[in-house]
Amino acid sequence: MSLLSALFFLQYNSFRNRMVYRLKRLKQPKYLVGGIVGALYFYFYFFRYLVQGNSGSRLPSVTASAEDLLLFEMLGGLALFIGFLLVWIFPRSRTVLAFSEAEVAFLFPAPISRRGLIHYKLLRSQVGILFTVALLTLVTNRFGGNPAIHAIGWWLILSTVNLHLLGASFARTILLDRGISPTHRRLFVVVLLVLVVAGTLFWARQSLPALTEDTLTNAASLKAYARTLLESGPAYYLLFPFRLVLAPYLAPNAASFLVALPAAFFLLVAHYVWVVRANVAFEEASADAARKTAEKIAAMRSGNWRAGQGKTKPRRAPFVLKPYGPAFVALFWKNLIAAGQVVSPRLWIILVAVGGGLALGLGGLPEARNAFLFMGAISGMLMAWSVLVGPQVLRHDFRQDLPMTDYLKQLPLPGWQLALGQLLAPVVILTAVQWLLIVVSALLLAKGTQIGPGPGAILAIAVSAVLLLPFVNAILLLIPNAAVLAFPAWFSGGKEAQQGVEATGQRIIAVLAQLLVFSLALIPAAVAFGIVYFLLHRFVGQFAALPPAAVAAALALAAEATLGILILGRFFEKLDISAELGPS
Amino acid sequence: MIEVQGLTKLYGEFVAVQELSFVVEPGEVMGLVGPNGAGKTTTLRCLCGIIPPTRGVVKICGLDLASEAIEAKRELAFLTDEPRLFDYLTVQQHLAFTARVYQVGNYRETAEQLLDELELSDKRDALPGELSRGMKQKLAIACGLLHSPRVLFFDEPLTGLDPIGIRRMKDSILRRARAGAAIIISSHLLHLVEEICSHLLILKNGRKVADGSLEEIKQQFSHQAPDASLEEVFFRATVDETRDS
Repeated sequence: MSLLSALFFLQYNSFRNRMVYRLKRLKQPKYLVGGIVGALYFYFYFFRYLVQGNSGSRLPSVTASAEDLLLFEMLGGLALFIGFLLVWIFPRSRTVLAFSEAEVAFLFPAPISRRGLIHYKLLRSQVGILFTVALLTLVTNRFGGNPAIHAIGWWLILSTVNLHLLGASFARTILLDRGISPTHRRLFVVVLLVLVVAGTLFWARQSLPALTEDTLTNAASLKAYARTLLESGPAYYLLFPFRLVLAPYLAPNAASFLVALPAAFFLLVAHYVWVVRANVAFEEASADAARKTAEKIAAMRSGNWRAGQGKTKPRRAPFVLKPYGPAFVALFWKNLIAAGQVVSPRLWIILVAVGGGLALGLGGLPEARNAFLFMGAISGMLMAWSVLVGPQVLRHDFRQDLPMTDYLKQLPLPGWQLALGQLLAPVVILTAVQWLLIVVSALLLAKGTQIGPGPGAILAIAVSAVLLLPFVNAILLLIPNAAVLAFPAWFSGGKEAQQGVEATGQRIIAVLAQLLVFSLALIPAAVAFGIVYFLLHRFVGQFAALPPAAVAAALALAAEATLGILILGRFFEKLDISAELGPS
Repeated sequence: MIEVQGLTKLYGEFVAVQELSFVVEPGEVMGLVGPNGAGKTTTLRCLCGIIPPTRGVVKICGLDLASEAIEAKRELAFLTDEPRLFDYLTVQQHLAFTARVYQVGNYRETAEQLLDELELSDKRDALPGELSRGMKQKLAIACGLLHSPRVLFFDEPLTGLDPIGIRRMKDSILRRARAGAAIIISSHLLHLVEEICSHLLILKNGRKVADGSLEEIKQQFSHQAPDASLEEVFFRATVDETRDS
């Protein structure tokens, strides 16, 4: 018990110190403001409905019928069954219990048994589970129901899933130790699955009325068929234990909940016994995983989100970088390499060929007009979506290189060259993607349109968008980069930099500020566009006036972007990272 | 070649470096030593333009680091104990990038020599993630030396290097000093400082405790013990003062 109390002490104090640290941090105005905004967001989005009940909700109360609840239980059980099956099929590696590097350093050499470490791990996972339970309860409670039932129900589900994942990983390791390869294990599980599915289908064919087109197209009939299939025959027995896990959460009232609780709790305890009785050597794999995880977290906190997607591979340079020429090109070149395969010329050629070929080749078929209209609209929507999302996804700029600030500041480059070099890659990549989407969209819409403005108008709109987008992208990318340099502590990879209610508030403020600045930046461009359009449209027509008006707007945006790059460069020159993050 | 006048760096009310003045001539290797928190790294970061000094003037090869920053930075290299590398650029790509930024026209030949010297020739297509800590350090050194800087700042230059690497690093530093480079080395390894430095600057609590040639410093703090080691001198210069105060 002394060991468990020591582990509990570690967990409790880690949690308490983290909270104290965050509270102390609120003395800084930027965290206080972030904390207030974050707290208001959580209150209005989640807690208000908990405090006021469903009367405060904008969402209609969902009171499911008993039949619907049963169907939910069946479908949930099926989802749980599939999820559990996947953990027996896919993973290849040995058991990896997730420990931090500090935990590995302190706990692994300590006189703690393997079972003690498992208990510690289970205790620690409860912190995450309880937090997730709180969030899920807040979300699901917006649709009505008893919050206590929801909370306990979610806890039972998540804890059982967590224990099953752990137990399954132990079992896989035991199989590996006994010489049963992952291929043999998978084959066994898949054969078992095929037999179960075949048996269920055979039973359905024998016992249920045949599926007709009417059943498939009618929601009520389809629901009835699914319910019959899942609540009788082999599927009933197969899904029974999974339904037991879900039953407390789906209980419509306290009495049903109390009836469902013992079985779910029994399954949880059975899983617990299974896990703690396993005697599997996980230490080496866990220590190795802890080191890799620490490296990944460090890289991701520094803005390299690809680090979380796996190992970085060497990438071919997009062009040969000669030692002479404008130095900012070196930054552009390195960021294109960082962006990786996205900028591979071969990929671009393939994309252009496929997109253009589809649009041109198939566009001639009269019966395909509706499809082309649809595809063209989808391409256009993707293009619009890329304007909003692209600058957040493509972070191969100052955001990616914030941890390299010391190095960048040593380089013999004026600030504007650094800013230009850092911004160019995301602007070029984003613009290239958007231009491709515009071309595809314009070609498809031109082929598909019989009514409306016609190909000439589509061409005018497309040309205008092509002219405007590089500068819109530049402005959109300038804003978050300026934010990073103005408030590096908000974006640094330091401890707790990205967590907590205040961090959520900071993100909300950042998004709102970005929208505001972008709206303000659009005003001169909109004025320039309006003046030119007003002057020309009477003489050349409403659509033909669009490209010249777009040129005027693009010039205004270009001037703003140039000014922005100069300011960003000055920001970088003046940046004293040690004053922001403390002396090193 | 390195001239520092009244260098002061404040963080709010905290004084990291106070009124520091010294000169390092071409061919001199100056050891920057002091206890933890003495302000060594802050001084080096100010000297190479990473952080702006609160007050004072820093000149590199006669160029004012504040008003002629670009020209001054072309003449220097700063090699830290924690190598700063781009995790998505290979060894070769790091060198190409550095060559373009510093406009080193004939860099391929120099790069080959550096890769050979630092035993990185067979790692030219490797990413930093595939290199050991020592190799990362060597890559940072290769990038730092590619443009043949006339002023070199080293912050714990031997961290992570193996014995052969340490020997070569020392030789390389001395060779560059003989070729006319002005060098400052910040290190806690007093035997390294004693072996390769011609001059010494001792810092404590951000202030200069002593500055001069090794012999002068030894004389100043040896207290009539002619064979006093640098370690003893260091303790007398830093610990005794605390006792006095």
